[in-house]
Amino acid sequence: MVVFIMTAIPVLFWALGDFPQRSALKETISLLTLVAFSNMLGQFFISRLSKKTLNLPAMPRVIKVHKIIGYVFVSVLLVHPFLIILPRYFEAGVEPLDAFTTLITTFESTGIILGMVAWGLMLIIGITSLFRNKLRLEYTQWRTLHSILSILFIAVASWHAIDLGRHTNLPISIFIAVFAAIGIGLLTKTYLFNQRKSRS
Amino acid sequence: MPIKSINGCIGCGICVETCPTDVLRLDPKTGKAIIKYPDECQICHLCRMYCPVDAITITPEKTIPVIVSWG
Repeated sequence: MVVFIMTAIPVLFWALGDFPQRSALKETISLLTLVAFSNMLGQFFISRLSKKTLNLPAMPRVIKVHKIIGYVFVSVLLVHPFLIILPRYFEAGVEPLDAFTTLITTFESTGIILGMVAWGLMLIIGITSLFRNKLRLEYTQWRTLHSILSILFIAVASWHAIDLGRHTNLPISIFIAVFAAIGIGLLTKTYLFNQRKSRS
Repeated sequence: MPIKSINGCIGCGICVETCPTDVLRLDPKTGKAIIKYPDECQICHLCRMYCPVDAITITPEKTIPVIVSWG
């Protein structure tokens, strides 16, 4: 249900928005990135945080879905900087490698710097999740680490998406900001705040 | 206006350099490209072709008028 909602909302905004027509390849790449990011926002709600509110199934199943969505969409978002320059292979003008070099060396742009930070955080989240068993952390320690990284990632990535996303008009910006704020709020309240409360 | 929109500009300034008729400028506030002099655009597509992130869209319905010889 959460996956459906987090996929349907950006697709709906994309379909209803007055965006300039571009090639099918470019639109597919944009839409894929938009859906992937939206589902990363949705990850905050496919967890223990909203188990009661959303009437989610048993936790092992929730965690399984959380993992699958995480690995799939983190992979999409990790290749997204390369997908942006993909159409350059099929069009005249700047070479793909030159385009990529310009992309990652334009440090005047806040959006690009935020994107690079978010990309790095996402890579850390992906690697730590993949090799979680080798980290030798207790479950609560792991949860805190994953929560902090996720909060940092979603805050930076949301700012990046609002600043640079070519489909982030006002409704999509509000959607991103609201869901990111609710997700961060829920996570902070459930794990970080409640943990301290129970310890004291 | 031939250049329809600039979405997702990273502010590299390549479009400003490639435009032969100085249509584009970098906004000093945002650091992103803006269409400063739209009437000057000759629809050469250079800005679009050299934009590394495909941020520029040119109005598809507007093209350079075809020159038809008389007689």
